[in-house]
Amino acid sequence: MTGGPMAIHAPSSVRTGWAHWLESYVMMTRWELGSLRLLLPLIVALQVIIGGGFALGIGLLFEDMPARNALYLSTGVTVVTLITVGLVLGPQLVGNRKIAGTYDFMWSLPVPRTTQAAAWTTVNSVIALPGMVAALLIADWRYDLPLHISLSIVPAVLLTIVTATMVGYAFAHAIPRPMITQLITQLLIFFILGFAPINIPPENLPAWLASLNDWLPFYHMAVVIRGGLTDGLITDVGSSYLVLTLYTAASVAVAAWVIGRRD
Amino acid sequence: MDDWTFRADRVTKSFGELRANDEITLQVRPGEVYGLLGPNGAGKTTLVKQIIGLLKPTSGALTLGPHDLVEDPDAARQLCSYLPQAQMPIDSFGAQQVMKLTGMIRGGDTITVQRRSDELIDALDIGEWRNTLGMKLSGGVKRLVGFAMVTVWPGRLVILDEPTNDVDPRRRRLLWEQIRRLGDAGASVLLVTHNVLEAEKSVDRLAIINDGRLIAEGTPSSLKAQDRGRMRLQLMMTPGHDTPEMPPFVHHHTRVGNNVMATVGESDSAQAIGWAQEMMGLGEAEEYALAATTLEDVYIRLTGHRSEEEPANIEAAM
Repeated sequence: MTGGPMAIHAPSSVRTGWAHWLESYVMMTRWELGSLRLLLPLIVALQVIIGGGFALGIGLLFEDMPARNALYLSTGVTVVTLITVGLVLGPQLVGNRKIAGTYDFMWSLPVPRTTQAAAWTTVNSVIALPGMVAALLIADWRYDLPLHISLSIVPAVLLTIVTATMVGYAFAHAIPRPMITQLITQLLIFFILGFAPINIPPENLPAWLASLNDWLPFYHMAVVIRGGLTDGLITDVGSSYLVLTLYTAASVAVAAWVIGRRD
Repeated sequence: MDDWTFRADRVTKSFGELRANDEITLQVRPGEVYGLLGPNGAGKTTLVKQIIGLLKPTSGALTLGPHDLVEDPDAARQLCSYLPQAQMPIDSFGAQQVMKLTGMIRGGDTITVQRRSDELIDALDIGEWRNTLGMKLSGGVKRLVGFAMVTVWPGRLVILDEPTNDVDPRRRRLLWEQIRRLGDAGASVLLVTHNVLEAEKSVDRLAIINDGRLIAEGTPSSLKAQDRGRMRLQLMMTPGHDTPEMPPFVHHHTRVGNNVMATVGESDSAQAIGWAQEMMGLGEAEEYALAATTLEDVYIRLTGHRSEEEPANIEAAM
């Protein structure tokens, strides 16, 4: 038992600036990884199984898979695995916090809230990347893909993960009831799988749906990632980078606004 | 040196038509343990959430020393530490590990945070769970770990929302000692509770909040002054029986469930006992007790609630 008076180091000034932001980001990433520590191996394993399984599953679509189709579908699968983590798994984890009642404590921590969003994105990447790599490796092994991986895969993956994660994050924080968030994100996944030109060539979609997708981020995510993984499959990545970068900036801005506002 | 007094000035928070806080004004000085008492739904947690920046006041000001907490929620989070009433997210962490991590997130250095977490673990007598994962801890120990997390590197204002919930009686005393020490070390402590009896022994000053309004404020003894020289007659009514007409020597009375609590003068004690026995004889009441008034009586008189609100608890308290 302590006898004497405690040494208490109450803060006398308010920390600000980039050093504080970076330090807080590192601490919050440690917090997020720590708090998922027990679940993380399971979640990552699940992502690897989903990614790999999806890559094998597309083989069932054709008796004898044409090489170009194999390349198109396999690269599409990697995009889907990246998007689903940010859009589905992220909101589920936020929802769990709301249900467990730990939400207020997290928001009362003395760090810039944007560092919590950044730490969240980092953790989502840790979860998503193994699934993506597994999907590619298994598809390559199964279909002998003519992959041509360039450095542009790095910004392509980053833009895709950040956008998907921030959209999911904004929904999860803006909507009070986790159940509603889940319904919305599931609807989005339904659209992405069935009606977005990720695994479906845009020319197979009705014209109006194809032009709608020109204004949504999903098609452009697929274009830039294919651009980074293949050679010759995609011709114009410039405009897709432009659209996707705008979406990334907008999703970050919206997420920052959502977590910064007070009722 | 800065004056780190916490001030709430006419804080009002409306949710549509509902005024959860209605012009609440109070001050907590450094070194002071200040109790915020009131029944569930009185608006205590709403006030606290505005201090820490989780909600924004509809009108009014919240300041801590030179800082405007409403304008600068970043400052609010750095200068205040907050133990919410709800669960803490510690399932995957070891007890001391999460205290240290939170201390460092709060701006503490490794050495001080290690030393202070050791100190708190000893002081709260939770050493046997030092390395136990949060998910394996009982509710009471979790609560103590939560307290250590927010005070390992405390803010200028430490806000504790029902800190003693689920904690066993012995460690409850240890916890109160540590809360007191926070005050002694210069922090302002804002303690939210509906446990009046515990608060009476531990707070320097307190406010009673009911229906969003601050209805009384002062030291425990100043609030009890009105009841000096009075006793509390507690009458457990037979279920289904109405409150009997009060004899003239009863100053005021309240009924919660089957429990009627009446305040009588000390000199009327004999008469009061006689009347209570008469009620039992008539089958109106099942039991009675006569005791010195406590802060609880003031609280009941002002809010119309017992501090433990469930009827089952009232019976158990007899």
